[in-house]
Amino acid sequence: MSLAATATMVLMLLLLAGFWIIQTGLLAGLQFTEQKVEVVGYLQTTATANQIATLQAEIAAMPEVANVAYVDRDTALERFRASMAAQGREDLTQYLDSNPLYGSLEVKLVDPTNFGTVGDALRADPIVRNVINIEDLVERVLTVTNVLRTAGTVVLVIVGIIVLFIIVNTIRLAVVARAEEIEIMRLVGASDAFIRWPFVFEGAMVGLFGSLLTLGILAAVADPISGFMADFFRVLPLQFGSLTRDLVALVLGAGVGLGVLGSWLSVRTYLIR
Amino acid sequence: MTIAPAQRPVRSIRSRVLGQRHDQAKPERPVLVLHDVTKEYPNGKLALREVDLVIPEGDFVFLVGPSGAGKSTLIKLLIRDELPTRGEVVLDGQDLAHLPRRQVPRMRRKIGIIFQDFKLLPTKTVWENVAFALEVTGTSRSRIRPAVDRVLALVGLTEQAQQVPSQLSGGEQQRTAIARALVHDPRLIIADEPTGNLDPLISWEILQLLLRINELGVTVMMATHNAQVVTALRKRVVALEEGRIIRDEVGGAYHRED
Repeated sequence: MSLAATATMVLMLLLLAGFWIIQTGLLAGLQFTEQKVEVVGYLQTTATANQIATLQAEIAAMPEVANVAYVDRDTALERFRASMAAQGREDLTQYLDSNPLYGSLEVKLVDPTNFGTVGDALRADPIVRNVINIEDLVERVLTVTNVLRTAGTVVLVIVGIIVLFIIVNTIRLAVVARAEEIEIMRLVGASDAFIRWPFVFEGAMVGLFGSLLTLGILAAVADPISGFMADFFRVLPLQFGSLTRDLVALVLGAGVGLGVLGSWLSVRTYLIR
Repeated sequence: MTIAPAQRPVRSIRSRVLGQRHDQAKPERPVLVLHDVTKEYPNGKLALREVDLVIPEGDFVFLVGPSGAGKSTLIKLLIRDELPTRGEVVLDGQDLAHLPRRQVPRMRRKIGIIFQDFKLLPTKTVWENVAFALEVTGTSRSRIRPAVDRVLALVGLTEQAQQVPSQLSGGEQQRTAIARALVHDPRLIIADEPTGNLDPLISWEILQLLLRINELGVTVMMATHNAQVVTALRKRVVALEEGRIIRDEVGGAYHRED
């Protein structure tokens, strides 16, 4: 076994870990996108602070709601001015004698598919002037994110199966090379367990060593790649540090598990029929 | 004047040389009994047909016959690499067909097997190759050492103990294999063409070694094409042809003599 098997193990685990990282990044990105879906209710100018606070509390109490932020009219104007300035346009509101904007409740959802319930709840209150109809937008975003999520999972599963076959076959080759030793052991009366044990142990060692090597490589390249990814997806709050524990479990589990499985299956071919 | 040692039965001489104790055989039980054995392979080939064979303790048997006569199949049945389609193979009183899988290794330890191509482990020394047969059975180190030293002395390889097989001549390699077959004190030695790869002089050496082992009380069954050896030694000859025993003769020659 040893060198060839360990090298294959490392490459395959890197492949698996790479796809896992991409998948996790993809999921984080999708979640971020979905969180951008907000239900915004604009409020009547006549609404009192008390009414607004009551409505805000009611909405916040709904299980579908992650949080509710109240944006008053002055803040809305400031935001508008800031965004105009950022785009380098002239601020036309300075020519108005009063603030033309409405205050609003911005509702972030736990699950973006629940926007309808929350929109209805807002509309039901007379202090709400109108609720922006975001149905189309939400549906499109959800279609895209669901397709990406499914595709990502499918690709990860396929890569996992490929890795399984390649590792098991590499170990099988190593065992075949020692077929004569196994045959001699059988002929002199070694028990199945006695023959199998060293191979399974070696498989586990190759798996352990391979996964540690893989984790070392990942740790070495994590920072530069993380920086690059952060630059690349400036908008996405990707944090590679948070993946580490799952990734270590995945790589160690896959390495040792496949090493043992590969040896077990390969040796079984040669044992007493 | 010295006193001559008392005459001892064959088995105890064997025990003394191999350093292992055996139950004193009371009524002699045949080492091997084949009763009405037929072996048909899945591809429909009939390798053995209705074979009956009894090999008593201490026998020396030549198994002869042309290639494809069923010699290899017979040997595979004895080490339970294959099971008979019909009939019984009884080794040391136990029917191999009804032996649970877990008991197979224990049964194999009652047989020592020697091949034409030696089947030694190339990375291990002579000593380690022989010790290997005991290590796999879980024998303790303190018992392995004297046992290995003793069989190596018996086959005359004490000097070569620390060499690896590639440093040995063919005859020495085969003697190593014989030592390995002998080290766990088997009831039966099966030699499958042991002289097939060796020149005539070395073949005689190996034969003499097997005869000596037989004199020590171990039953020997040797499959061979070496007509000269078989005819010269006048031992029991079992001839197979097309899966049948066509001749079973004590003091026979390689070919039929009428």
